[in-house]
Amino acid sequence: MAPKLDVKQGTLALMILKTLEGLGPLHGYGIARRIEETSRNRLVLNYGTLYPALLKLEQEGFIKAEWKQSENNRRAKYYGLTAAGKKQLEREAREWYQTADLIAAFLTPRPEET
Amino acid sequence: MKYFRSALTRIAGVFTRNRGDDDLREEFQAHLDMETAENVRRGLSPEDARRRAMLAAGGLAQAAEAVRDQRGLPWVEGVAADVKYAWRALRHSPAFAAVVVATLALGIGANTAIFSVVRGVLLKPLPHRDGSRLVYLRQSMDGPGGENLSFSVPEVRDIRDGARSLAALAEFSEWSVSLLRNDGAARMPVGLVTGNYFAVMGLSPILGRVMDASNDGPGVPIVMVLTHDGWMSRFGGDSGVIGRVVKVDDKPATIIGVLQAAPFFPGRADALLNMVASEHHLSAFMVEGRVHRMTELVARLTPDATVQQARGEVQATYERMTRDHTEAYNPGQHYRVAVIPFRKVIGERASLTLWLLMGAAVFVMIITAANVANLTLMRGVRREHELVVRAALGAGVARLRRLLLVENLFLTLGGAAIGLVIAVAGVRLLTSFAARYSPRADEIRLDGTVLGFTLLLSVAVALLLAFLASLPRDGAFASWISGATRMTGNLGKNRLQRALVVVQVAVSVVLLAGAGLLTRTMIRLSNVQTGLRTEEILTIQFSLLTPPQTRDPAADANAKDRYERMKLEAAALPGVTEVGIGSPMPLRRSDVPLEVKVEGKVFDPREAPPRAEIRTADPNFFRAAGIPLLRGRYFETTDRRDGAKVVIINHTLADQLFPGEDPVGKNLAWTGEILKFTPFGGEWRTIVGVVASTQDGGLDAKPVPSVYMPFAQVPAIGGGLVIRADSNVAQLVAPATQIVRRIAPTTPIDRVQTISQVREESVAPRRLNAALISSFGLLAVIIAAVGIAGVLAFSVSARTTEIGIRMSLGADPGRVQRMILGEGGTLLLIGLVAGGAGALLAARVIRGLLFDIEPNDPTTLVGVSLMMAAIGLVACWVPALRAARIDPAITMRAQ
Repeated sequence: MAPKLDVKQGTLALMILKTLEGLGPLHGYGIARRIEETSRNRLVLNYGTLYPALLKLEQEGFIKAEWKQSENNRRAKYYGLTAAGKKQLEREAREWYQTADLIAAFLTPRPEET
Repeated sequence: MKYFRSALTRIAGVFTRNRGDDDLREEFQAHLDMETAENVRRGLSPEDARRRAMLAAGGLAQAAEAVRDQRGLPWVEGVAADVKYAWRALRHSPAFAAVVVATLALGIGANTAIFSVVRGVLLKPLPHRDGSRLVYLRQSMDGPGGENLSFSVPEVRDIRDGARSLAALAEFSEWSVSLLRNDGAARMPVGLVTGNYFAVMGLSPILGRVMDASNDGPGVPIVMVLTHDGWMSRFGGDSGVIGRVVKVDDKPATIIGVLQAAPFFPGRADALLNMVASEHHLSAFMVEGRVHRMTELVARLTPDATVQQARGEVQATYERMTRDHTEAYNPGQHYRVAVIPFRKVIGERASLTLWLLMGAAVFVMIITAANVANLTLMRGVRREHELVVRAALGAGVARLRRLLLVENLFLTLGGAAIGLVIAVAGVRLLTSFAARYSPRADEIRLDGTVLGFTLLLSVAVALLLAFLASLPRDGAFASWISGATRMTGNLGKNRLQRALVVVQVAVSVVLLAGAGLLTRTMIRLSNVQTGLRTEEILTIQFSLLTPPQTRDPAADANAKDRYERMKLEAAALPGVTEVGIGSPMPLRRSDVPLEVKVEGKVFDPREAPPRAEIRTADPNFFRAAGIPLLRGRYFETTDRRDGAKVVIINHTLADQLFPGEDPVGKNLAWTGEILKFTPFGGEWRTIVGVVASTQDGGLDAKPVPSVYMPFAQVPAIGGGLVIRADSNVAQLVAPATQIVRRIAPTTPIDRVQTISQVREESVAPRRLNAALISSFGLLAVIIAAVGIAGVLAFSVSARTTEIGIRMSLGADPGRVQRMILGEGGTLLLIGLVAGGAGALLAARVIRGLLFDIEPNDPTTLVGVSLMMAAIGLVACWVPALRAARIDPAITMRAQ
């Protein structure tokens, strides 16, 4: 198994938003599973990481929480993306690509140095 | 927006915590259940599935805490918890809390009250528009009455032309008029001003209008602008005064406006009149006479000029002026001019006294803070155990520090709240005190700035106390617990406590020394001989004639006749033994010094010519006032208007003019430039007697050289009755005043005072000074004594075991007692030495407030040190006695 990674500050929010965009309203367990799966289990989200992040996004108005019946008839809190959250996702994704490019450019050995 | 929104929900979260917790529990539960179900589906046993789910969750409690931190404002919640905790902790040690709060209340109260006075009187910007651009010009010279000469009209003209950096000059001439009202006449201090005065000073009317250039010069109607003070005190703040015509000096004057509240300098003014109100001010004497100085000058600097620049220009102009008119500026008298910011000159008289009080208050604050710090340190040692437990339960050092800070804030803010109550009372007392020194006393307020000062002070003390307590670095708690620190406190902390005691003692000594010097000043002053034989004397001062009337012989004769009738009637009052007429009243300055010359004597022209104050007296004056005759005779009824001109001089003038000679029989005459402005001639007058000098300039001033002329031989420029009685002269005030009112119904009475009241004018401010500093000193000593006793008692209780061991090894109680006394005595001694040195420095600063006593007066210093030592030793005695009573058996068993 690949080594476990800590979630980088700020990236978790992006992952959550992206997950919700793809799958629609989802409960905490679903979000955690999806992120873990997507990361091929390199990321492990415990409650202390996941739930404060969810709450923060909710406070910022990017997601909305609602108690609903789950598929196996259990009451669960579902989180859904809001319009503001959609915009935030676009913005953050764009920024992330830019940052990633930038960092990649820095880390890639330049021709003259090789 | 994002931050605002999340901030709002987080703040809401602080208050909805319980509901949120239920929600969270259910959410976690659902997560666990779903994961467990999934695990079961994958083929795990139910127990294993559950265990795995729990493992993946990570600590549930921590997670809930993390969510809670995100939900509300953890800092606020933490502080709320700290506040709750601090309240509980303080409630459990009420004695500690009470002592600390009370001590702080005294310190903070004293500082707040005095700071509000210092701010109101010295620091606050002037109410004048752009008041910081105003400068006061002062002309002075050597000799009596030379501190502030004011300016003459030609001088004003020269300065206006010469100093470019002064945008404009406001002329203000102190004057007094009689204001005739339905209920009688009253003397009113006024200012005669030029029309530009208001614009230059930056003062606006709150009612009506102010004067302008059209009100200047002769031949215009008299107009009057009431000052705020005058409007309130003489017209009861009546808004209908505008347009009213009142009689000033028997001439009609129209009230055109009421001025905003503003301080006047050098004296109070109830109204401002245009120059036409006084014939004298527009006379050739005044306008042409270079030495006829009656004008105070305040100038407004041009926008780009500095005080320094103005000073240079005024100086240059002044030097040119004195070169051009050598006859008016005798080089021996060192004529000079000063340019002083107006705000500073207004605060001049109050400055030293108020800064002294502020300094004393700061000292009290230092002692207070030191004492509270000591109490906190001692309590901190006892609480170490508790703090360690809290640290072990997960509170970091920052959290503990915050807890201490909150606790201390509780104490200091509590102290500040009570202190403010003290300050409110104190400010009331201090305002009347400050009114003696400053025209700005009514600007003293406990306003926002002052409250800010108090708050700042409280927070500063709380911070100091919180950071004084030693806490270990993060992660070093274990060694802190295991070390020998418990109950004894570490050495460093002990040293700090001792140092604080030394500081308290030293500061107390400084305060006590100041109090001692001021108290002795006050006592010396009240023991000063006035020069009068008795104090059972009532004086009533009033002028029956206005200045122009004194040149009219018929009016003069009529006035003298009326003075004489009053004298006869007053003499018939029960208990009265003697009544005299004269001017000014005994123990009052005459304010009219003239140059004198002596027949057959030539004075060195390079030195200031001798000057003497003009006084008048009838034959009974000296006996009534109790002024002893030293040589020759008093005036007789034979010294008539048409008789030979005679004078009596006082001892001071006799010493100055006739050292080692008998002045009786010699001739002297008035002379000098100013003489022509007075109704007196320059003829020779024969000295017929020498009388004792009296303290006319106040008890702390040097006697002034004076010449008495017979009341009958000179115009009655002033006058008054001196009434002497067997006893209880105060009860004559009403009947004697009635006599004057009946015979002269339209004459304002300037002053009715007994000699003891005049004395009191000199002594009262000093007494209050001494009382204030003494109470600060006493407060300091009490706090310091409690401090010493507390630290020693603590030291004894911390060393109980050690003392027990010593005693079981053979030390007797006396020895133990001496040991503790020695410990306290050493601190006391160091404090006394440091305090003595500090007192010598401090005394030099307050030299100007002392009278007839040297700043390093050994009696005071030794006395104060002994007092402090005695109190300090008593404070040491109690814990020492307790140490001696320790029973070694019990202490050893307790181990």
